[in-house]
Amino acid sequence: MFDKSTRRDFLKRSATVATGALILPQIIPSTALGMGGKLPPSDRIVMGAIGVGSQGQSNMRDFLALKDQVQFVAVCDVDTNHQAKAKGYADEANKNKDCRVYGDYREFLEKEKLDAVCIALPDHWHGIIYTEAANKKLDVYGEKPICRTIKDGQTIVSAVKKNNIIWQTGSWQRSKPNFHRAVELVRNGRIGKIKNIEVGLPNGSKGIGTPPIVEVPAELNWEMWLGPALKVPYRGVSHWNWRWILDYSGGQLTDWAGHHIDIANWGADLERTGPVEISGEGVYPRDGIYNVPVEYDFLCKYANGLEMRVANSSRLVHGGGATWYGEKGWINVDRGRLSASDPKILQEVIGANEVQIYKSDNHWQNFIDCVRSRKETIAPIEVAYRAISVALLGEIAMTTGQKIQWDPEKQEIIGNPIASRLLSRPYRQPWNLPTI
Amino acid sequence: MKKQYLLVFVFAGLLAIFNSCQKSTEYKALIVTGQNNHKWEASSPILKQLLEQTGLFTADIVKTPPKGGDMNTFNPDFTKYNVVVIDYNGDSWSDKTKTAFVEYVNNGGGVVLYHAANNSFPEWKAFNLMAGLGGWGDRSEKDGPYVYYKKDSMIIDTTAGRGGSHARRHEFEVKMRNAEHPVTKGLPARWIHGNDELYSQLRGPGKNMEILATAYADTTGGGTGRDEPILMTISYGRGRIFHTALGHVDEDGGPAMECVGFIVTFQRGAEWAASGKVTQKIPNDFPNAGGASLRTDFKELTLEDDLAKIAMYDITKSTKYFTDLQSRIRAEGKTPEALQKFEKLMIKVLENKAATDDAKRLILRELSWMGSDLSVPVIKELAKNDQLKDVAEFTLERLQPAK
Repeated sequence: MFDKSTRRDFLKRSATVATGALILPQIIPSTALGMGGKLPPSDRIVMGAIGVGSQGQSNMRDFLALKDQVQFVAVCDVDTNHQAKAKGYADEANKNKDCRVYGDYREFLEKEKLDAVCIALPDHWHGIIYTEAANKKLDVYGEKPICRTIKDGQTIVSAVKKNNIIWQTGSWQRSKPNFHRAVELVRNGRIGKIKNIEVGLPNGSKGIGTPPIVEVPAELNWEMWLGPALKVPYRGVSHWNWRWILDYSGGQLTDWAGHHIDIANWGADLERTGPVEISGEGVYPRDGIYNVPVEYDFLCKYANGLEMRVANSSRLVHGGGATWYGEKGWINVDRGRLSASDPKILQEVIGANEVQIYKSDNHWQNFIDCVRSRKETIAPIEVAYRAISVALLGEIAMTTGQKIQWDPEKQEIIGNPIASRLLSRPYRQPWNLPTI
Repeated sequence: MKKQYLLVFVFAGLLAIFNSCQKSTEYKALIVTGQNNHKWEASSPILKQLLEQTGLFTADIVKTPPKGGDMNTFNPDFTKYNVVVIDYNGDSWSDKTKTAFVEYVNNGGGVVLYHAANNSFPEWKAFNLMAGLGGWGDRSEKDGPYVYYKKDSMIIDTTAGRGGSHARRHEFEVKMRNAEHPVTKGLPARWIHGNDELYSQLRGPGKNMEILATAYADTTGGGTGRDEPILMTISYGRGRIFHTALGHVDEDGGPAMECVGFIVTFQRGAEWAASGKVTQKIPNDFPNAGGASLRTDFKELTLEDDLAKIAMYDITKSTKYFTDLQSRIRAEGKTPEALQKFEKLMIKVLENKAATDDAKRLILRELSWMGSDLSVPVIKELAKNDQLKDVAEFTLERLQPAK
């Protein structure tokens, strides 16, 4: 039988005895955790996973690649095929058949005693489940974008802060050397003062028309999949392709905001603020159930005069990724790419007295290290919230066709009660955004 | 003295206003047809309708004798017209008529070449200079290079080979190459064209030619793998030529002609060829990267038309009329007052007992953000309907949030 006394209990006990979280790293330094790299079972982070479709399984494999630092003991999904696949990964690593499976996250959170949970769900479920997990004092590795609406995001941020949990967003580009290097160069003024930014995200899907209503597959709990979203008949669109329907996602724009807008914010030191004015336009499918923008192009103005243009990549000179334009040149970074107006910029050395950018070589390891050290991760919650709010405000500007004034401090739309309605979305009963 | 000048200015101004208020059409168009390997009997009346519905043109149709007939009897007076639309691919004209046509263009006459018109007159040098590019009719390297795009570069390719081909008909994406030309200014950078033949491997002199738009001929569909020119302008003498390779006709028009992208570029191209400028607005239903947009009866729908169609909405048919409504709201609903104008019409759909539940669900969702207290009574009524309860409650919660 698995010992349900978890690392978290141990940490809590230690904290009580040692009277303060500050000295915890001295009790269990993350660098001295093993004997020859082998960890005793009591030092493993005990994890569960909610949402184990393609991205959830991918995250599990990345955690399991950390070998015996992590142990998965329970998985939860509304699709029994996903459950079986994920349980298979866990059991194989644990060399037993004990990984527990759940179809309802409420039962999962109620019964399991865990250190941390890895969550990868369609965006419309994020508000409820991220907040519930934080309220259970679980450390969370949560997929981006962290919310479907601004209100969901604000609730999640408050829950994470109030419960003092460790949060890592799945914005793994932050743990890749080319993105780190780009940010380091920009933040240290190697292209001079930044004048404007362009963020290129993929073009959206043209759509599939309206497929017929079909029987819900036996493995899928459709009612639970929909959860707080409006009830609609099943047309064969659930896993993965939820990305193209506004009820569940904002499309490529909101999917990729958690990557490239996040990186752009990191470089421009906008990680904990937001724009003051947003305007732009979207191009929407003419027909069918897919209704997220195929193209989008909006401009965000910041209080310090900076401007950020977010558009589908075919509209931008540098295509995809984040491009910072400074007084002395530009830097563009995308997956597998780092380029600059002058290649010499990329050779620049950053001195010891200059701005040092948080460094992580492995996004999942960084989370586990922080669960142990109780330090902030490389992709903390507020930073993720600020990245997705740029896209969500852009979405509001495009939906209304109006110029939106935003107060990044109070996090409110100024003087536009109609557009403000789009900051939140009513939940279908019996679901409600949890209180904190 | 000064006062007198002022009076003259005022008078001139009034005269200008008076002139602009006159409803008379500005341009005369002549559609030349009568022979074609396409169904010209179907296409020419549609082209006439499209020209006249702009309010800018009156259009005549002139037919040549049938194939093998005496072409000496075909002598239209081109000089009476501002633009000549060629919907023709057949026997060569008489030398006299050719000379008259060249003189008309040389003197500043406008020309629109439509679809298979670029197949015609392979032997007529001046015509091929006007067309820029052509296909079929034994065209080959002797007629000029292939012209096309590879990524962002125009390629002039003198390789030997046939001129003209097309893969099987399909919808394809049109990409703007010059967004500043009067014909294309303000159109989306890319848009989906209705099911059509994608003319490829066109070749010709290509002199004084500007490519306004291309379309990628996908190799998976049997295409050339090139971005093929499909909208062009050419200057010849003092004349302006607009050349559209689009618009294959079916018995009843068909999707290539019904495509709003074809319709609007044809109408704008004709105005430009006639006058050198374009005054037409870009309609709400112009296609975009999100999909093709067709007018099955060649008429632009009004807001009221859209709402009438939405009321009968069946989700399995088309969401087009609803997306039309949404784009109108985005474009025009910039203030609470402007939104209420839409809201009042949308309430009528909700009150319409014959309107479908699917239609009401769509309207309710849209009202959830842009509605006002005006909508609340009818939504409360709809909340009693089991089929609409959830979405009605959704909308009420957004319109009247609990404090």
